[in-house]
Amino acid sequence: MKKLRQSILRVCVIAVLIASAFAVRVGDPAPGFTAVDSNGRQQRLSDYKGKYVVLEWHNQGCPYTKKHYESGNMQQLQKEWTAKGVVWLSVISSAPGTQGFVTPSQENDYLKSMNAAPTAVLMDPGGSLGHLYAAKTTPHMFIVDPSGTLIYNGAIDDHPTSDQGDIKNSKNYVSAALQEATSGKPVTEAATRPYGCSVKYKD
Amino acid sequence: MTTRAQQIPAPHARVELLSRQTSIAPGSDLQLGVHFVLDSGWHIYWINPGDSGQPPVFRWRLPEGFSLGEIQWPHPERMQSNPQLADYGYHGEVLLPVVLHVPPGLNNRLLAEIGVNAKWLVCREVCIPEHAQLQLALPLAKTKQDPASARLFAATDRLLPQPLPRRWNASATSAKDELRLVIKADKRITKAMFFPLDPGQIDNPAPQKLQPSVTGLKIILKKSDILLKAISVLHGVLVIPGGPAYRIDAPVRQSIQ
Repeated sequence: MKKLRQSILRVCVIAVLIASAFAVRVGDPAPGFTAVDSNGRQQRLSDYKGKYVVLEWHNQGCPYTKKHYESGNMQQLQKEWTAKGVVWLSVISSAPGTQGFVTPSQENDYLKSMNAAPTAVLMDPGGSLGHLYAAKTTPHMFIVDPSGTLIYNGAIDDHPTSDQGDIKNSKNYVSAALQEATSGKPVTEAATRPYGCSVKYKD
Repeated sequence: MTTRAQQIPAPHARVELLSRQTSIAPGSDLQLGVHFVLDSGWHIYWINPGDSGQPPVFRWRLPEGFSLGEIQWPHPERMQSNPQLADYGYHGEVLLPVVLHVPPGLNNRLLAEIGVNAKWLVCREVCIPEHAQLQLALPLAKTKQDPASARLFAATDRLLPQPLPRRWNASATSAKDELRLVIKADKRITKAMFFPLDPGQIDNPAPQKLQPSVTGLKIILKKSDILLKAISVLHGVLVIPGGPAYRIDAPVRQSIQ
């Protein structure tokens, strides 16, 4: 049964078919990927084995993404955790012609103007990486542990609004999960409902 | 005096605060509602918005002694933008009613001023957070229905989830990747859709497999990826096309694999 499921999974990942029909569950191995970043470099998940990796689905036009960037909240998280050796990969799955689609140089200008500090931004205009993780919203956050296991899937925090004023009263799930995991504790809230704009996939 | 407060034109929607009655009787309940008329193609969200979005939020200003019940959410429609994402919400127009409890002693007052700070997210391909201040002044006297808004409230009544009929019941079993919702009824049910009230329990875009029988219907729901803990009750709304919407609170039994 397990073998059958694995081969079904493989076929579907290759064909990028309805990836949401298959689970991206906390506790399972995080799906491997290769993607090109905004500087034209190849980024592989396997390159970061041995480190914690945060995936952040991003759309610079989305009011929920703006909440966390215009307040500086996301940049602060990026700086805090990359300084502690965590790899932070933002992912843009907006298709050409949709909200949030940017060229690599537009993205690099945006990073500079926002003072953002992800390790890299993965350009995913075809949506295959988004489908592989069944990313639903911007933001939608995932954390992969040093062994390659998914340890968090969900929202950035517990206030599903677009109001910056709510951030100070929010529990940040990503920070909480990283704090627990890096101190050897199990993650208390490992799966939450992500909130935000829908990812602007091609279809 | 009008029960139709000023309509606030907002981007992609017109919004107004309505009362079902034209006046307020001390010691009674009456229905207020926030009415959205949306531009073509735009939608707002149900209490469980599904995979993205956010339900409207209302912050009320009431005269002293008045209180409000919860929003009575009409059943939503499923909005699927692609195979991976499904949301729950409303197109066209929707009235979100609430019950206003009027205190018995209302000495020396002629008008009850009611205000609401409404915040909502309106979406088509993109989403825009909006807000408006809505006001309504109701005279204090015996209540009468306002025919125009009463029609709208009556139409909305038919969209509000009702309890299951007395001889029906709902139960569910939890299997590895599925929740199986069984509706025991006194007839065959061939078409229905389940809307989960709690987010993160079912996979919203996954097709719901219907297994009609002479005693009702079984619906196979795919579990959400983020459902890690066992659930004891499956809360939601069952919509039968052409019929009423029913409130479902199905106890969940863990099936033995």
